[in-house]
Amino acid sequence: MVRLTIDGKEVEVPEGTNVIEAARRLGIEVPYYCYHPGLSIAGQCRLCMVELGNNPRPQIACNTQVTEGMVVRTDTSKVLETRQSIMEFHLINHPLDCPVCDQAGECWLQIYYMKHGLYEPRMVDEKVHKPKAVPLGPHVILDAERCILCSRCVRFCDEITGTGELGIFQRGDHSEIGLFPGKELANPYSANVIDICPVGALTDRDFRFAVRVWYLDTARSICPGCSRGCNIEVHYNLRRPHHNQGRRVARLKPRYHAEVNRWWICDAGRYGYKFVDDPSRLVSPSRGRGDAAVEIGWDEIIPVIAGQLRRYRPEEMGVLASPKMANEDLFLLKRLVDHLGLAHVDFSVPPRHPGDEDNLLIRADKNPNTCGAELVGLGPREGVGHGGARGILRAAREGRIKCLWVFHHDLLASAWPEEEIREALRTLECLIFQGSNANRVSAAAHYVLPSATWVEREGTFTNFEGRVQRFWRAVEPLGASLADWEILGRIGAALGLGPQPVRAEECFKALAAAVPAFAGLSYGELRDTGKVVSA
Amino acid sequence: MSALGAVSVQFTREQLAEVRRLQALYPDKRAALLPVLHLAQEAFGHISLEAEEYAAGLFDLSPAHVHEVVTFYSLFFREPRGRHVISVCHNLTCHLLGAQRVLTHLKKRLGVDVGGTTPDGGVTLLSVECLCACEMAPMMQVNDRYEGNLTPEKVDRILAELR
Ligand code: SF4
Ligand code: SF4
Repeated sequence: MVRLTIDGKEVEVPEGTNVIEAARRLGIEVPYYCYHPGLSIAGQCRLCMVELGNNPRPQIACNTQVTEGMVVRTDTSKVLETRQSIMEFHLINHPLDCPVCDQAGECWLQIYYMKHGLYEPRMVDEKVHKPKAVPLGPHVILDAERCILCSRCVRFCDEITGTGELGIFQRGDHSEIGLFPGKELANPYSANVIDICPVGALTDRDFRFAVRVWYLDTARSICPGCSRGCNIEVHYNLRRPHHNQGRRVARLKPRYHAEVNRWWICDAGRYGYKFVDDPSRLVSPSRGRGDAAVEIGWDEIIPVIAGQLRRYRPEEMGVLASPKMANEDLFLLKRLVDHLGLAHVDFSVPPRHPGDEDNLLIRADKNPNTCGAELVGLGPREGVGHGGARGILRAAREGRIKCLWVFHHDLLASAWPEEEIREALRTLECLIFQGSNANRVSAAAHYVLPSATWVEREGTFTNFEGRVQRFWRAVEPLGASLADWEILGRIGAALGLGPQPVRAEECFKALAAAVPAFAGLSYGELRDTGKVVSA
Repeated sequence: MSALGAVSVQFTREQLAEVRRLQALYPDKRAALLPVLHLAQEAFGHISLEAEEYAAGLFDLSPAHVHEVVTFYSLFFREPRGRHVISVCHNLTCHLLGAQRVLTHLKKRLGVDVGGTTPDGGVTLLSVECLCACEMAPMMQVNDRYEGNLTPEKVDRILAELR
């Protein structure tokens, strides 16, 4: 550890810490643009100047490591004047088009200019003009005039993805960020450059002009896109419902987690939330197949479902749970399955096209909670010999299973022959579909139970490493949809299972008490960063 | 790669040996990019995008980073240039001592604007920042040679020698 003094306050930090981070410990903000804790140091923007000891000239804090007894000042008039001059330089050729800039409201030029601006601009010359609104790839669009050449985006592509698409071309005040002519910014993590671009130079083609950022609210969440379980923020808009075509979720942003995803998320995960406000959402329980389907209320359908579950003998019933369900849901389902004495239970349905994977974040398993489903015990049971989900479907085809309860899966998108599945679905006497969006299974179902999506409820996922992580509710469930655990609780009550949890937290508590891997865990214990189960 | 799938920019075996020699001179071979780009310019006449990608391959760099270097330096030519390059200094001393007159004369004689190349591919005319030879202002650089104390007559003589 190294002791130093910043603005008269002492602080102790590990060796190798730079002055920006040391100051942060004390709650002292040293402004910067080019520095990013996840990237190499560039020393490009010059904004983080501080005074060190008796050095006659201010020095950049990002590239200065702390030393024992170092005396730093971030609040002297020399430092403040330096910041003002640097800001003036950064804005010499800036177009000042904030009113039509998507970054406005979360732009670090605006934020620091408010603190360190000159306010009386001295620039009278014509500004240098550069390309505006240039799509760089499927997700990112560039306004080169707004770029302050911090090189974060370049370093991201060099150091994190190793794809090197971006560069700074030309020289002096004609320098501009860009791609090698004819190339695209299309790596699987490309949109992270939007997050790290401190200004409005790189913006999101998907989010652009959808909602002004000051109308957005934020909920902490976990990406459900694969078994990595990247920590994210859900940005949603309820204050201007007429913006963004009524879509409530406006964008997903990465949330730092030191051991899961650091500062990043992949593009597939970032844009994978569209199903939440999609017209395909199931918004009411219904009975009857296809055109004969009629919407009914929960109070009406719950006893009917319970009746069906009672009607068949255990060996005539099958359950296909989903690794997209939260631990809370899976646990209540497990309790129900055990109560009914069902053996034909599985959760794993292989996708038609195996998922891609890399060694940064993306995992081949596109489900957020495969590990949870295994731990809760919804996998094929040893010794029962039903051959897993495919065996269950075979039994349905052969009429041995008469009642099947499918959660979320679009079985027709699985690796198994479509005809095999169609036949199974046709043959069933009673097909119950529970899920958030309509698919070919819900279309064939006798009963549909609409689930809330993960942003409409709280819960936990267990990622591939066994890390149990919480997600929080952002928006209300659409229509009459309910969290899976709530639906299962109501059915459980109707089946005489006794009092059912009324909050997700209670489900988790019961899970922790029943499943050894989760022993000792609670929502309080999980906090923001989650906990790895003792598998 | 060209449309035909054949590499039309390619160093000879000797040139490649020179590339390896230059790369070995530095702890980080990237440092040899500048001399190798000069080599490419000599070999191919100018540095096309294709040549940039070729050089990138020799250095395990992304083409974008070679493009950064090529666009940074004004002495890398990204378009075909003439057999001779004339660069007239337009900075302060030369300007005061008549650089504009020299440039106007050259434009008239060559029939091209600054940045242009004569139709026969003979001469490319440039106007550049200080070449560090104020003592002979107004001056210009003709290929690797400095020519100073220029007058229209002297320019004519130089042009005659070039042809
Ligand atoms: S585009 Fe953004 S991140 Fe990239 S150099 Fe410019 S300001 Fe920095
Ligand atoms: S890597 Fe997986 S969890 Fe992370 S953002 Fe992508 S899809 Fe989501």
